[in-house]
Amino acid sequence: MSTAMNFGTKSFKPRPPDKGAFPLDHFGECSAFKESFMQCLRDSGYESSACRQRAMAYLEQLMANEPLEKLGFKDLIDEKSEAKPEKL
Amino acid sequence: VVPGETALAFYKAKNPTDKPIIGISTYNVIPFEAGQYFNKIQCFCFEEQRLNPQEEVDMPVFFYIDPEFAEDPKMAKVDLITLSYTFFEAKEGHKLALPGYQ
Repeated sequence: MSTAMNFGTKSFKPRPPDKGAFPLDHFGECSAFKESFMQCLRDSGYESSACRQRAMAYLEQLMANEPLEKLGFKDLIDEKSEAKPEKL
Repeated sequence: VVPGETALAFYKAKNPTDKPIIGISTYNVIPFEAGQYFNKIQCFCFEEQRLNPQEEVDMPVFFYIDPEFAEDPKMAKVDLITLSYTFFEAKEGHKLALPGYQ
């Protein structure tokens, strides 16, 4: 994090995430899905596009443990299957 | 990562102490000019997160790079964007300058 006082330059303004915060996987229930995704990344030379299926599997598992989050999740599924982000 | 395509990334946080810690994180994007193109759909930041003693947890970030990034001539030489997070311990009465997000 930059703490220098740079007068005359714009400061970086963090923005909150569009759909809020993830529930954290405190009990490691999703670790296997994460490992599967990370293995895919390693195998593909860290090409994000190659591993979208496994990314979705992880997100599905993460959200399955938090019923309330499902309100926002359907949009994520639609986004992922269209391979395009929602235009704001 | 392809501009416009959603991507998932992981960080890991560990509480090495023997007390629970409640933390809040904020992020930074380098190079600075790329930050405007960085969009988070969902992450763990800006909300208090509790880590128990010795707990280690995966912290996902789901994001995309705005497709306009590919059109910006100033970004032509940028092929590496670094996203970093800093965790602060949440203290009573200590308010971080967080964006309006509740």
